[in-house]
Amino acid sequence: MPVDLDNSSTASGEVSGSSSGGNNPSQQQQSTAATPKKKRNLPGMPDPDAEVIALSPKTLMATNRFVCEICNKGFQRDQNLQLHRRGHNLPWKLRQRSGNEVKKRVYVCPEASCVHHDPSRALGDLTGIKKHFCRKHGEKKWKCDKCSKKYAVQSDWKAHSKICGTREYKCDCGTLFSRRDSFITHRAFCDALAEESARAHPHNPTPPPPSNRSPGADPHVDSAPATAPPSAPSSSVSPVHSPELPKTQDPSPAPIMEQPVARAATVNASCSSSSSTSSSSNGSTTSTVFASLFASSTTASETLHPPPPQQETHSFSDLIRAMASHPDHSHTTVELAPPPIEPISLCLSTSNGSSIFGQERRHYAPPPPPPPPPQPPSMSATALLQKAAQMGSSATNASLLRGLGIVSSSSLSSSSSAQLDGWAQRHMEAENSSVIHHHHHHHPGLGLGLLPCDGGSGLKELMMGSTSSSVFGPKHATLDFLGLGMAAVGAGPSSGGLSALITSIGGGLDVAASFGAGEFGGKDIGSSS
Amino acid sequence: MDIPLFPPKDHHHSFFPPTQPLDTSTTTDPTAVAAPNGGSTDKWAAPLLRECARAIADKDTARIHHLLWMLNELSSPYGDSDQKLAAYFLQALFCRATRSGPRCHRTLSSVADRSHSFDSARKHVLKFQEVSPWTTFGHVAANGAILEALDGEPRIHIIDLGSTLCTQWPTLLESLATRHDDTPHLTLTVVVPAAAAAVMKEIGQRMEKFARLMGVPFEFRAVAGRLADLTGDQLALAVNHNATHDSKLAGAAVAVNCVGAMRKLPRGSDRAAAIEKFRSLSPRVVTVVEEEADFAAGEGNFVGCFEECLRYYTVYFDMLEESFAATSNERLMLERESGRNMVRVLACDDDDEDGNNDAVSEWERRERGRQWAGRMKEGGFAPVGFSDDVIDDVKALLKRYRTGWELVNNNNNNNGKQDQGPGLAGGQQQGGGGGDSNLFLNHGFDHNEGNNDHGNGGGDDQTPGLFLTWKDEPVVWASAWKP
Repeated sequence: MPVDLDNSSTASGEVSGSSSGGNNPSQQQQSTAATPKKKRNLPGMPDPDAEVIALSPKTLMATNRFVCEICNKGFQRDQNLQLHRRGHNLPWKLRQRSGNEVKKRVYVCPEASCVHHDPSRALGDLTGIKKHFCRKHGEKKWKCDKCSKKYAVQSDWKAHSKICGTREYKCDCGTLFSRRDSFITHRAFCDALAEESARAHPHNPTPPPPSNRSPGADPHVDSAPATAPPSAPSSSVSPVHSPELPKTQDPSPAPIMEQPVARAATVNASCSSSSSTSSSSNGSTTSTVFASLFASSTTASETLHPPPPQQETHSFSDLIRAMASHPDHSHTTVELAPPPIEPISLCLSTSNGSSIFGQERRHYAPPPPPPPPPQPPSMSATALLQKAAQMGSSATNASLLRGLGIVSSSSLSSSSSAQLDGWAQRHMEAENSSVIHHHHHHHPGLGLGLLPCDGGSGLKELMMGSTSSSVFGPKHATLDFLGLGMAAVGAGPSSGGLSALITSIGGGLDVAASFGAGEFGGKDIGSSS
Repeated sequence: MDIPLFPPKDHHHSFFPPTQPLDTSTTTDPTAVAAPNGGSTDKWAAPLLRECARAIADKDTARIHHLLWMLNELSSPYGDSDQKLAAYFLQALFCRATRSGPRCHRTLSSVADRSHSFDSARKHVLKFQEVSPWTTFGHVAANGAILEALDGEPRIHIIDLGSTLCTQWPTLLESLATRHDDTPHLTLTVVVPAAAAAVMKEIGQRMEKFARLMGVPFEFRAVAGRLADLTGDQLALAVNHNATHDSKLAGAAVAVNCVGAMRKLPRGSDRAAAIEKFRSLSPRVVTVVEEEADFAAGEGNFVGCFEECLRYYTVYFDMLEESFAATSNERLMLERESGRNMVRVLACDDDDEDGNNDAVSEWERRERGRQWAGRMKEGGFAPVGFSDDVIDDVKALLKRYRTGWELVNNNNNNNGKQDQGPGLAGGQQQGGGGGDSNLFLNHGFDHNEGNNDHGNGGGDDQTPGLFLTWKDEPVVWASAWKP
C-alpha cells in the first residue's frame, strides 16, 4: 500500500516538476520542497528499526496459496481463508495479534536492479511488495480488449477496463480527442502548448496559478476582481499555502479516495490549528484558501441547488465546533482573510457538499490538532484503484471528485484562491455582519455560486485534471501516465492551461468528422463536363 | 498491347464525365479498373492512362496527343477519385511525353516548399494521422521496436532519418515517461534536408517543451543535410559531434529510425551505402518503414513502372477518399504531393537526378519490403521480430480507424502456410491472418508480374516485418533490424 501511495504522490510531484510553471516566487518555494526528480525515487523509506524481509520472486508471485477445501476458493493469506471458512461453518482460527511486540516488517524487492532491492528503500507491507513485484517485474498477462494495454495485476486491469474508452481528451485549443495517441501527438504540436510554455518560466517546474484564466472566463469575476488581482495576493498567501499543501497532498491521493471525510476534517484541522497556533496571518490565510476552494468546488456544481436547511445547519454546527478553536488573533490578522469568511465559506462548502461530507463529518470534526496527513487507511491500493475507476466512470459523482481534486491538488495555485479570497472578502464586506445567522437569507449557494461558476470552469477542470493525475494516473503504475501528463498540461502552463484536459465532456465529438470544409467544392467537376 | 483499344470517339462519349462522386468509395476496387463500359461508375481512368503510357513507350505521337487530350478533358483534381487519378497521372504522362519532368517537378516542388510551413505541415500530417493509420502504423511499430531494443538503457540516442516531422515522437516520449524504471535521457538527432530546417527548428522547440512536460530529460538536435549526401563519416560526425563533451551521448544506446527515408535515396549503391552508414553508427536497432510499392523499375521499363505506380496510387487515392471528407484541404495537399511524386517517378530519369541534385529535392523510388529486406540483409543486418506487445499495439491502433485496415504479420509464420510459431502472435491474427498473408503476398506480386525483379525473388514469403493492408492490398511495411 505505501508503495502505491508513494508512487502516486511522487508521480504527482513529478507533474508539478515537469510542467513548466509560473514565475511566482512562492511557487518556487514549493517546488524546492518537492524536487521532482528526486521524489521519483522516494517510495519506500522504512523505519530503520524494521525487520527487513526478502521474499523470493516465487513467493511474491504466489497467489492464493490458501485454498478452501470446500469451494476451492483461494486466498493470499491464511487469515482470510480462516474468515472464509467461517462462512462454511467450518472450524476457523484467527491468529491473535500480539500487539506492539510484533516488530515492524519491511520488504525488499528480489530484483537486484530494482531500487527497492536496497533495504533502505524497502516497502512497508506485503501487499505492496507483491504488487510492486508483479507490476514492475512480472509478466503482463492481463490485456484490455479495447486498447490492448497490458497489466500484470488483474485488479489494475479490471480497473482500467472499466474506464477504457470512456475518457475523452480535450486540448486547450478546444479540440477533442477520443484517442489517446492522437491527443498526445496533437498536444505536442499544438500552439496551446507552445503559448503556455512561452508564457511560463521555462525552468520553474511548478504549475502556475490557474487564476489567470478565471478572470477572463467569467463575467462575475471580472466584475469583482479589482480587489484581488491574481498576482498580488498570491504572494502573500502562498508562503503559507505552499508548505501546507504539499504536506497534505503528499501522503497520497489514496487516503483521499478512501476517506474524503477524513481528509476534509484534516483540512479543517489544519486550518483551525494553524490559525490558533501560528503567529500571524498564516493560519487564517490558509484556512481561507481551503475554504474558498471548497466553496468554489461545491457551489460550482450545485449553484442551483441550495442545500436543504437541516443539513446545512447540521454540518454547520459541526463546522462551528471545528472552528471554535479559532483564537481571536486571527481576526486581527488581516488583509485577505477577515475571519468571518472562513467559517462561512467552509460552511457553504460543507453544506453544499453535505451529501457527501455532511453526516460523517462530525466524527472528524473534532480534529486531531496536528495537520499531518491522515493515516493511510487500510484499504488496498487495488481497491482504491477500483474505487477510483468507479468514480471516474460515474461522472455524476462530481462533487466528491471535485472536492477531492481540490484537496489533493497541490498545484492549485495560490493566486486563484487568493482571488477567491478577494472576492469573498469583498462580498463579505458588502454584506458583512452575521452572515452565519442569516445564512439562508443570503442564499449562499447562489451568492458564492457566482464565483465558482467562473472559477468553476477553470477550477473544476483543474481539479478533474489533478484528480485524475493523482488517482488514475500513477495508480496504473505502469502506463497511465497521461492522466498525469494531462494534469500537468492542465495545471502547469499557466494560461489557458487549466482548462480541462481531461474533462470528460458528455456527448462525444467525432473529431474526424468535424473538420473544416475546403472551399474548392465541385466547380471543377462541372467544368470538366 | 493486349489491352483492347477503345475507339476514341466512343470513348469520349461513353466515358463522359463520370457524374457526381456518388460515394463510389464503398465499391472502389482496384481490380475492377479494366471493366468495360458497365455504367457511370466504371473506372475509366486506369484503362485510359494505361493506353497513354503504352503510347508513350511506343513513341506513338499521334496517339499520345489524342489520349492526353482526352485525359485532359475528363480529369479534374477536384473530382472523384477517378478524375483525380487521371488528373495527376496526366500531369506526369504529359511531362514524360514532353520531357519536361524535371522542370515541372522543380516548379511544383518549389511551390510546395514555399508554402511549406510549420503550420501547414502540422495540419496535414496530423490530420492524416487522425483519419488513417497509413503513417501511424509505422510509427507505432517502429516506436515499439525502439523501446524494446533500448529497454532499460539510461541514455538513449535516436537518430531520426525519417520524414515524419517528429510526429512519431510524442507518443514515444510518453511511453518513456511511463516506463517503469527511471526515465532515460533521450537525445533525438534529426537529419533534415536544408529546405525543412526552418520548420524543424520550430518542431524541435515543441519537442523540447513536450519532453519537459512529460518529464523526459531530452535533447534535440537537428542536422541539416540529406542522408544521400552525408558520407558515413559525416553522418557519424554530425550525429556524434560533441560526443566527447557531452556525456549524455557517450555510451548512449543508439537507434536509427528510417521511416520513409530510404526511398528518398538514389537507387542502388546509395541505398547499400546508406545501410553501411547505419552500421557505422553501431545502432542497437534500425527501424525501416516503407510504403509497399516498387518504383525502382523506372528506366528501361516505363510501362511496368507505370503499372506499379498506377496500382499504388489507385489504392492510395481510394484510401484518401474513404478517409477524408470530400472537400478536405489536407486531402488535396496529399494528393498534390502524390502528383509531384508521380512526376518524379514517371517523368524524371535518373540522369536528371544526378544532374540536378539541388533542383530535384527528393527521390521517390519506393521498393517493396521484400527488396528492402534483401538490402538490409546484404548490409549485414538481421531482422528483429516484433513482439506480441508491439503487435497488439498495432492492432489496437488499427481498431481505432475505420474498417478496411488489417495487419499482416510475417514475423513468425512463413507466409502463413504452416506452423504459427509460438502460437501467440499468429494465433490472434484477425480473420485468420495466416491465410491473409499468403493471399496478399500473391496478390501483391501479381501486380508486379512482368515487371522487374531485382533478384530477390526467392525471398517473397520470407519478408520479415509487418504489413499494413488496405482492403487486402499491402500498403506499408514496417521492420526492425539489428546489426
